[in-house]
Amino acid sequence: MGKTLKDTLLGTLQNGEEVLEDIRVLRKVSLDKITEGNKADARIAPLHAKSLGLIVSAIADTGKNAKIFRLSSAEGYLPPFEAGQYLNLFTEIYGVRTSRPYSISSSPRQRGYYEITVARSACGFVSDYLLDEVKVGDTFSANGPAGVFRYQPVFHSKKSLFLAGGSGITPFLSMTREVLEAHLDRDIVLLYGCRNEQVALYQEELSAYADEFPNFRYHLVISDNVAGWTGETGFLDKAHIARLAPDYTARTCYICGPQVMNEFCQRELETLGVPEKRIRRELFGACKNIEKEAGWPVDLTGEEIFHVTVGERTIEARANEPILVALERAGIRVNVCCRSGECSLCRVKLISGKVFLSKGMLLRKADEAYGYIHSCKAYPIGDSSILL
Amino acid sequence: MNEYDVIIIGAGNGGLASAATLAELGKRVLVFEKHNIPGGCGTSFRRGRFEFEVALHQLSSMGTPEKPGPLREQFRRYGIESEIEWIEIKELFRVNFPDGTGVSIPADRTACEAYLIEQFPAEKDAILRYFEAVYAFADESVKFAEASAKSTGEPGALKKAMMKLLFPKMYPTLARYGLLSTQAVLDEFFSTPKLQLALSAYWCFMGMPPERFPWSILAKCTNIYMEDKPFYLRGTSMMMNQAIMESIRRNGGEVRLNLGVKKLLLENGKAVGVVDDNGVEYRAKKIISNISPLATYGALLEPEEVPAAAREYLKPYTVGISAITCFIGLDCPPEEIGFTTSFTLNYESLDANKDFQDAYKLLPEHDPLVATCYTVDDPAVSPKGTSIITAGTLKYGTEWEKLTPEQYYETKYEAGRRIVARLEAMYPGFTSHIEEMEVATPLTHMRYLNHPGGAIYGYEQDLLNSVFFFPSESKIPNLEFASGWVNACGFGPNYLFADKLAKRIAREV
Repeated sequence: MGKTLKDTLLGTLQNGEEVLEDIRVLRKVSLDKITEGNKADARIAPLHAKSLGLIVSAIADTGKNAKIFRLSSAEGYLPPFEAGQYLNLFTEIYGVRTSRPYSISSSPRQRGYYEITVARSACGFVSDYLLDEVKVGDTFSANGPAGVFRYQPVFHSKKSLFLAGGSGITPFLSMTREVLEAHLDRDIVLLYGCRNEQVALYQEELSAYADEFPNFRYHLVISDNVAGWTGETGFLDKAHIARLAPDYTARTCYICGPQVMNEFCQRELETLGVPEKRIRRELFGACKNIEKEAGWPVDLTGEEIFHVTVGERTIEARANEPILVALERAGIRVNVCCRSGECSLCRVKLISGKVFLSKGMLLRKADEAYGYIHSCKAYPIGDSSILL
Repeated sequence: MNEYDVIIIGAGNGGLASAATLAELGKRVLVFEKHNIPGGCGTSFRRGRFEFEVALHQLSSMGTPEKPGPLREQFRRYGIESEIEWIEIKELFRVNFPDGTGVSIPADRTACEAYLIEQFPAEKDAILRYFEAVYAFADESVKFAEASAKSTGEPGALKKAMMKLLFPKMYPTLARYGLLSTQAVLDEFFSTPKLQLALSAYWCFMGMPPERFPWSILAKCTNIYMEDKPFYLRGTSMMMNQAIMESIRRNGGEVRLNLGVKKLLLENGKAVGVVDDNGVEYRAKKIISNISPLATYGALLEPEEVPAAAREYLKPYTVGISAITCFIGLDCPPEEIGFTTSFTLNYESLDANKDFQDAYKLLPEHDPLVATCYTVDDPAVSPKGTSIITAGTLKYGTEWEKLTPEQYYETKYEAGRRIVARLEAMYPGFTSHIEEMEVATPLTHMRYLNHPGGAIYGYEQDLLNSVFFFPSESKIPNLEFASGWVNACGFGPNYLFADKLAKRIAREV
């Protein structure tokens, strides 16, 4: 058989015959690569599993109204994570599939299990279930570990200031355990704001660390008036920071706790002159009392029920609950991970109607231009229509 | 119900553009995208106050509103040209040399010639001849492509012999330089290494060093960017791809996000439909795959369904290079640290080919460093008083695939640390301004793109895999490919390729 026209013409090019010969040789010596084509997923799985199968291997009490859950792998392997990252745990409660993000509190240096800590919240649909119903041997699926609330060695200071509130202590526990147990060359001041000592999590462990390690200082700051308490009191504020971590300007500051505390601490740091680049914040979960957030329509109490149209279905949605929750109640599957407005997995398009977007939603410019919202922090304040 | 004219697998640049063109032509299209957002490589992500561009440096083929290039015309047809704020980039790039000097290339032929002659007076004649060759090459390429498009089928032996004789006479520049490497051509023209590096910078857009980079791509790049000007846009490439997606929907097309395809359906060896991740079946007259041919055949078909011809056809092609990229948000404007040209290529020595060899190693060493500061041409891409810089090196995934999971994060940050150290040396004080920073490795690219080796340009864009040899043929009837794996990789080329493909398919369905 003669050469094709293409090869004939290419052969007239300078270097043409040489290139054609190289390709002929390659064709002869190369292996079939098609079978290799679908291996990327398998190569990545040990680092980032699409979904984790977890089994509860131990449960322990900590503080008042909180429990520690150890989660082992149902498949026998847990991917590595960075201290400070979270798991998004899926549950099915009364037939409703939903999920919650929980920071991992165990050290990333051991991966026999991931530890999470669950504290009871006021009307905690999921926390009640985890605290009251779940027992050793129960199984869950989860995604993650994920999140960017972590020590970034390229530009963060080796000196850290951790500001924790309530159950927001959990990512700091992971970071502290890693630094101290692995004897890393870092220095930590941890200020932990709580109502009282009884609800403080991991109090014993943290106090013991502070006694043992000179590069770890720990102060519990109590806001209730408790007779006999000799430690720090009041709301964790700039006075505490300036006194207990006087070298705060040399530190990277990390804040994790309820939204009110989180925002307050950020303002306090800014007042102290800490630049934005030195302040890292973790916002987890949807905001409680969304109707108190600035910009919430004055004529709505939050208890109103609106209609959200999704394709051919119309579902009911309460004003003070994120649209994501309404979708989950209706059994509509939505991709989800952080539930805090950041990761964008639960992104939907708002075709018509009004929603209230809670603070901290990290939208892209294209989202704003074309009406996309993150359903985990978008609240219905009128009838609306969305596209998944 | 589940019947369409065309089903498109993947909402990357090629998938979106082919769907948009088909929808515009009145065809019933359905696009599947397993991610939660459209765009594929053309995407962005948020950290703190910043939105980081992941892939686009300079959009080609746009032209100005008065003298539109082919891509602007395509976007006009989609109805999206006026929805987006386009930003013309004034300089093509800046090359920084190890001795601290550098050259900034204007996006205009005459200005560029004058500037280079001023910098390298001894090479004046060569510079002028070189640009003559670049433009003649671009011209002949267009003419040849037009002539080829008209001819059909294999001609007889006599005609073939005639064409063989005529070809070098009709297309002398094409015949002389069409299959030479960039280095070979630059050596023919110039003896000054700095001048060679000043003219070859676009090699890094395709991930092949000068000695392996087809000069034909460089010539076309140079010509297109000078004539149609490089552009960026407000809102990152995500804005452009979201706009295209909206255009598909406006014209009645469907795009399903968060839904992948797990199976390509064949009947009598022909593609007839797909099965989505939930197991639902869809039928179509044509299927366009915007994922790699390797994954199309390898992951969507049973091994026994893969045509032997496809295995044979793809054999000589080599999976290409990946990258390590740092996405950095600074709390100061670019001029404060000395960034004046948006796109810079930074060398550790004057031997780009030798330095490129470090791309095979795990960590950045002497690798040429690409740094782009989007804020230079448009301060509005990030909040007032801040800047966005992406900086990185090309890297093969091989060594990264050998890491244990335990070694991964440590190694990733070490790579980031080295890149930042290089930037610090060039722009003192750089590190102290970092407010946000993420590091992407070849494994990051592998994770999000699902490409073997974390390849970011598909197959190696070298003399053996690209230009005249792109593996664009499908070996399954009614299946077509539209990704950067089968044609010149890059936003502009890919949109244009997909548009052409879609127009052909529109005539067939």
